[in-house]
Amino acid sequence: MTTKTHQDHTWWQMIPALALCALATSATAQTQIRDVTERTSVEAEADTAPAVCGAAETEQQPSDIEELQRRLDLLAAEVERLRSGEEVQPVSVDDARRLGLAPSAASTYGQARGVSIAGYGEMLFENYADENEGGAATGQTTKADFLRAIIYAGYRFNDKFLFNSEIEIEHADEIYVEFAYLDYQATDNIGVRGGMLLAPMGLVNEFHEPTVFLGAERPVTEQRIIPSTWRENGAGIYGAFDRVSFRAYVMNGFDGLEFSSKGVRGGRQKGNKAKATSMAFTGRVDVTPTPGVFVGASLYTGDSGQGQVMVDGAEYGVRTTIFDLHGAAQVRGLDVRGLFARAHLDDAAQLNQLLGKGVGERMQGAYIQVGYDLLSQTNSAGVALTPYVRYEQVDTQDRVPEGLSRSLSTDNTYLTAGIELKPISNIVVKVDHAWVSNDAETGVNQFNVSMGYAF
Amino acid sequence: MIRVVSVCTSLLLVTTTVGVVAQGGQMTREEALAAVFPHAGIEAERVFLTEQQMVRIGELAAGDMESALVARYVATQGGRIVGRAYIDTHVVRTKRESLLISLEADGSVKRIDVTAFLEPTEYQAHERWLQQYDQQTLTDDLAVQRAIRPIAGATLTAGATNAAVRRVLAIDQVLALAEEKVGAVAR
Repeated sequence: MTTKTHQDHTWWQMIPALALCALATSATAQTQIRDVTERTSVEAEADTAPAVCGAAETEQQPSDIEELQRRLDLLAAEVERLRSGEEVQPVSVDDARRLGLAPSAASTYGQARGVSIAGYGEMLFENYADENEGGAATGQTTKADFLRAIIYAGYRFNDKFLFNSEIEIEHADEIYVEFAYLDYQATDNIGVRGGMLLAPMGLVNEFHEPTVFLGAERPVTEQRIIPSTWRENGAGIYGAFDRVSFRAYVMNGFDGLEFSSKGVRGGRQKGNKAKATSMAFTGRVDVTPTPGVFVGASLYTGDSGQGQVMVDGAEYGVRTTIFDLHGAAQVRGLDVRGLFARAHLDDAAQLNQLLGKGVGERMQGAYIQVGYDLLSQTNSAGVALTPYVRYEQVDTQDRVPEGLSRSLSTDNTYLTAGIELKPISNIVVKVDHAWVSNDAETGVNQFNVSMGYAF
Repeated sequence: MIRVVSVCTSLLLVTTTVGVVAQGGQMTREEALAAVFPHAGIEAERVFLTEQQMVRIGELAAGDMESALVARYVATQGGRIVGRAYIDTHVVRTKRESLLISLEADGSVKRIDVTAFLEPTEYQAHERWLQQYDQQTLTDDLAVQRAIRPIAGATLTAGATNAAVRRVLAIDQVLALAEEKVGAVAR
């Protein structure tokens, strides 16, 4: 490979000559430099350096011009390389000595490393209907909640090791670590990860920035059956081979004593002095047959008893298994997503005997959602306007242990219709209305407005 | 559960060992160029754009042109230009990404290689996603959600990559025009 400056842009060749002029004639010559710099390359291409600086001077110092040109070329190459962030050659012992450092101390000069900061946030305005579907007064107050303000902070130690974290302030006054892990990128295809991890379940849990999912609120299935944002302490592997990506972790299990008739959400330990007597396995596989389209499945299985569910002198593990099937397609402005999730609890009878909370033995939910960016096929400069509709059914008592009666209010249907506007891809405003119904006729409709950002 | 933990621990150890043995690295621009133009001679150029050229590139690309310094590679074979390649460096979230965007002699995209990605790797575009750009030219349809499908969970990467490709195609067009004019003046 050979190197040269662009030969067709001869204004560039004028710079050395002008530089010589500058050395010789001070203020007058500086004006010349500015003037020439402002010229187009096409205009300059018709001229030559000697015409500006004087043929006699140029002829006197051709070697100086060539040397200046060479040095400027080297500087341009160096600037471009530094800007690129590409790995540079490791610092040799000789180079380290020149830097006055031991080789390890000098290694920072040969690495692309450093801090990464990003974040997202969302504010939600919820207005509830005065009456539920049965006509009873709901008494629910309209709420304006700054749901989340998040800072991502990461640090790349080198091309193999990095740290990544998400620090979240919820409802403006609750602070959580949503994830904080170390990654070891073992090969281009496989890595190892350890720390506080997001459970790799469903469509929303790992990708929960408001600019990523449709709807002012996350799907209820991904709140109650897959309790996003679901994070626990653990370790595992992740990777991708061609069209297939996967993650497989071992994490601390749920705290089953916090389950309720509304699902497993209360059982999350969120990494806070988590009980780890009962561990769990969780993983997912996704297949991307073509860009923008993927289908996959996720699994979580492990005990939730944490050694605490003792009934009649016997300990029960409360094995909890959750799986989901999911798919999404985003093609030419059309956004279709669907998910089915089911959770099954062993020893639910014993757990209910202990808690008396009506915890379901089987819970399940499913939704399908369609949106279309009306501006996607126009030259809208990145503005997106997407009406959407989501149909969802969730039952947190799909099956209950023998002797326990089902509540009619836990089997809900949600129909949500709305529209989202993204003036740029990092900012979103969503407006939607959700119609909620169940056999107990206690469903409460609500109107939502949300604003979100991600950077 | 002990069995599950044992299996996963073994997986971790195997993976770590594999990683130590097979230290896969990011492709350098030299490696990428050699792969894209295997039998060609490659000449590196650094082009300094004029303000007018930058404005025109911004118009064509429908985006900002932030730097006047362009790293370009011209591949020749038997005295004939068989392709060109450009390094485009841009910010994805807060960290930089560099792409080697290689073009056919006719100016369409030949291939894209990631030569630097300083964000967490989970946000990096996969090769199959980048292949959507093969043979693409600078048209209105060259946009995410039009000819280019998005990346689930990596919206900013998709947007930044698309902007980079549009920018490089616009640079190539503008430089080709300048070269034509220079040729005409020379004649």
